[in-house]
Amino acid sequence: MEAAGTKLSRSDLTRTFWRFIFFNQLGWNYERMQSVGYCYAMLPILQKTHPDPEDFKEAFITNLNFFNTNPVVGFPLILGAHAALEEAGASLETTEGLKVGLMGPLAGVGDTLVWALYNSIILSIGSVMALEGNILGPILAILLVFFPYLGVRYWQFFWAYNQGTGLISQLGSGAIMRITELATIVGLIVIGGFAPSIVRLNTALEWSRDVEVRGEMTTQVINVQQQLDAILPYMLPLIVVWAAYALLKRGWSPIRVIGVLLVVGFLGGALGIFG
Amino acid sequence: MLTALLLACWAYACIWDILGPVFFLGFRPLIAGFGAGIIVGDVQTGMLIGGTLELMALGVYTYGGATIPDFTVGAILGTFFGKAEGFEVGIALAIPAALLLTQVDILNRFLNFVFVHRADAYAEEGNVKGFERMMRIFSHMIWGFSRAIPVFLAVQFGESAVKSVSTFFENNPWFNNGISVTGGILPALGFAMLLKILPVEKYPAFLLLGFVLFAYLGIPLVGIALTALATALVYQQLKYRGQEA
Repeated sequence: MEAAGTKLSRSDLTRTFWRFIFFNQLGWNYERMQSVGYCYAMLPILQKTHPDPEDFKEAFITNLNFFNTNPVVGFPLILGAHAALEEAGASLETTEGLKVGLMGPLAGVGDTLVWALYNSIILSIGSVMALEGNILGPILAILLVFFPYLGVRYWQFFWAYNQGTGLISQLGSGAIMRITELATIVGLIVIGGFAPSIVRLNTALEWSRDVEVRGEMTTQVINVQQQLDAILPYMLPLIVVWAAYALLKRGWSPIRVIGVLLVVGFLGGALGIFG
Repeated sequence: MLTALLLACWAYACIWDILGPVFFLGFRPLIAGFGAGIIVGDVQTGMLIGGTLELMALGVYTYGGATIPDFTVGAILGTFFGKAEGFEVGIALAIPAALLLTQVDILNRFLNFVFVHRADAYAEEGNVKGFERMMRIFSHMIWGFSRAIPVFLAVQFGESAVKSVSTFFENNPWFNNGISVTGGILPALGFAMLLKILPVEKYPAFLLLGFVLFAYLGIPLVGIALTALATALVYQQLKYRGQEA
């Protein structure tokens, strides 16, 4: 392919960045997932680095290949690194290698950091506030999405562009691993506390018996929930979470587990076992 | 009519947001319900429905690209009907609506094939303008309308059906109890899904710590989050002490 590079201007990069922001997953489909969004974002740069029409066409077609990663942590990083490679006049084999090589690992890191941990924490705090009638709950959640997300995507894109080809060794330095570990620990502690606070299950069962106290017959009512609380608070919610976890671990699909929870919860509630 | 249109637009905006800019995370039930609450003029119901569904669905949002019950539409419809008929009716309608829309999501992701195949054709011709026009004008339509149309139809025509549902509720308290218990335990799935992708076996102590902070010490959730951050920082400081000197 081309050996000489083509210098990209700041406005080329900004254009690609905003195209990425507004279009990254539009057109998502089962066949090639985020490919059209990726291609659309990269197109202004490809046009500049491939002045020859035939050469450009080939780059256009190649950049419609399968692509899928986390759109917040991962996608902008790959895009920035790709821009740097384009500027250096890298071949299509090289740039495709970069995309394929980074999208998998970054999807794993990004989905865990963004979807599983960050979103869960800010939205559960926001929801708990909302349920108390505090309008700041959803507003806070929106602010904690808007600014950090825009910032982290902007930073990744330009950081990766500036790092260029040295990126892969940078990623291997352990910084990402440490951030993931930190987020994992925070996530586990928070889930340990959130799960029993959010999953609600109490039994309404009572057990009464007649006992003889000093020669007089009285009825003694035993509240099962109080007995359970004395053994371990939030015992029933913990059992439900554990059971759902065990079923998922055995390979059940989430929809099937929802089915079981619906049946158990509805029957238990309707029959007056839980309440 | 105006409400139906506005709610349909809001559903469109919510799904567009997650596929494009992710500015406000509109597809999450808390936000979708909050916005719907503003539109119908009852923010409290919106927050109540959205917050409840959010906690119920928490954790099903862990993977990109997975098809999950559409609690976004659920929250919007739940807020609309919840305002008129009360919270229980809203929630009881939101859950089946969300499950029903799951199928629509699968269909919509199939229909999106159209874009990638059109894109191939544009690329073969080197037709940048055509490709860009498709992206700007059409690429969000299948997603957007697959949510906006059901919302519009349900709001516009669903009211009489919903009325009879709510009468049924009033006459059958056992049904109500069943729904409310179900609402309480559904979040278990979300937590289970989170736990499944986290290395629970490697760090069981942290899970236990969080439980103790809440169940025995009664620390509020923000306090637990801050304690978690402090604990994680201390853990890493000790663990990597040798490497930084």
